[in-house]
Amino acid sequence: MESKIRDHMESLFADAPKSRRTYELMEEMIRNLTDKYNDLVAAGKQPDTAYEMTIASIGDVSELIADLEESFMRDPIEEQNARKRSALATSISIMLYILCPLPLIISAMVRGGNVLVGLILLFVMVAAATGILIYNGMTKPKYVRADDTMVEEFKEWQSARETEKIARRQISGALWSITAVLYFVISFVFSIWHVSWVIFIIAIAAEQIINAYLSIRKNS
Amino acid sequence: MSIASDLIRGHTDAIILAHLISGDSYGYEINKSIRKITGDRFELKEATLYTAFRRLEEAGHISSYWGDEATGARRRYYSITNLGRKVFEQMNSEWQEAKEIIDRLMAAGGSTNGE
Repeated sequence: MESKIRDHMESLFADAPKSRRTYELMEEMIRNLTDKYNDLVAAGKQPDTAYEMTIASIGDVSELIADLEESFMRDPIEEQNARKRSALATSISIMLYILCPLPLIISAMVRGGNVLVGLILLFVMVAAATGILIYNGMTKPKYVRADDTMVEEFKEWQSARETEKIARRQISGALWSITAVLYFVISFVFSIWHVSWVIFIIAIAAEQIINAYLSIRKNS
Repeated sequence: MSIASDLIRGHTDAIILAHLISGDSYGYEINKSIRKITGDRFELKEATLYTAFRRLEEAGHISSYWGDEATGARRRYYSITNLGRKVFEQMNSEWQEAKEIIDRLMAAGGSTNGE
């Protein structure tokens, strides 16, 4: 009889948006209607009568469907806005990376320019860009579990691993491009090619430290 | 019955909140208890009940979760929030006041009819 109730509910909600909310509401109602039907039969009603009574107790679902439509229309807009914000943040940080050697180059070329100021500006820009990237990666919407089944738990775990991998790749990419830029700039400006290669070893160490920090944070 | 049920339906939110104050519950159980308390005289339509759940949850008066069921399918449980309790107190006192006022107004008519 549950399948008969299910069929009836599906025809009632045929026009509702195919969203998770709709699906959950239907499951909830089917479960409760089936209980009601079983209770009626247990109380001595004929199966057909019990089914009729169960269906009659549903009432007018038009308001429910209107609610579902409204929340369905609202959600995608929020998602779109979040995606736009995220794209903007990524663009700004990449622009900062590209422009960051500029203050240093200008300060080195202009007569009387202070190279130290240029260097500090470079670091500030790199720090800002990295900060924006990491913040952006951390505020991405997480995968929300639809149901507490094993499959959903696996999906959530997978999604968490995915974002973590992406974050690490972003950090690593940023780190190595900054290192390369720093190597050339420092070497050119100070003419210290014989020692400036040390910067790459420092970068390896920095990456290890960042990875270790991320693992500790994840485990705690 | 139908006019009375229209009157009662205006208080669906308060009825649901009143039930949830005594503990978490699910749709069918709430409706069963409404029937039992009213001696089979009143029952909410499923559509009315679930529309009210959506509305109350949106307003933050109740919250919902999928319960762990030992057998078969899972069901969605509702529980009242602190805000919901406050709102219910408000609704209850408003109802008591309205009831008293209407009682007095109706009593005036009742006594003239009796004479």
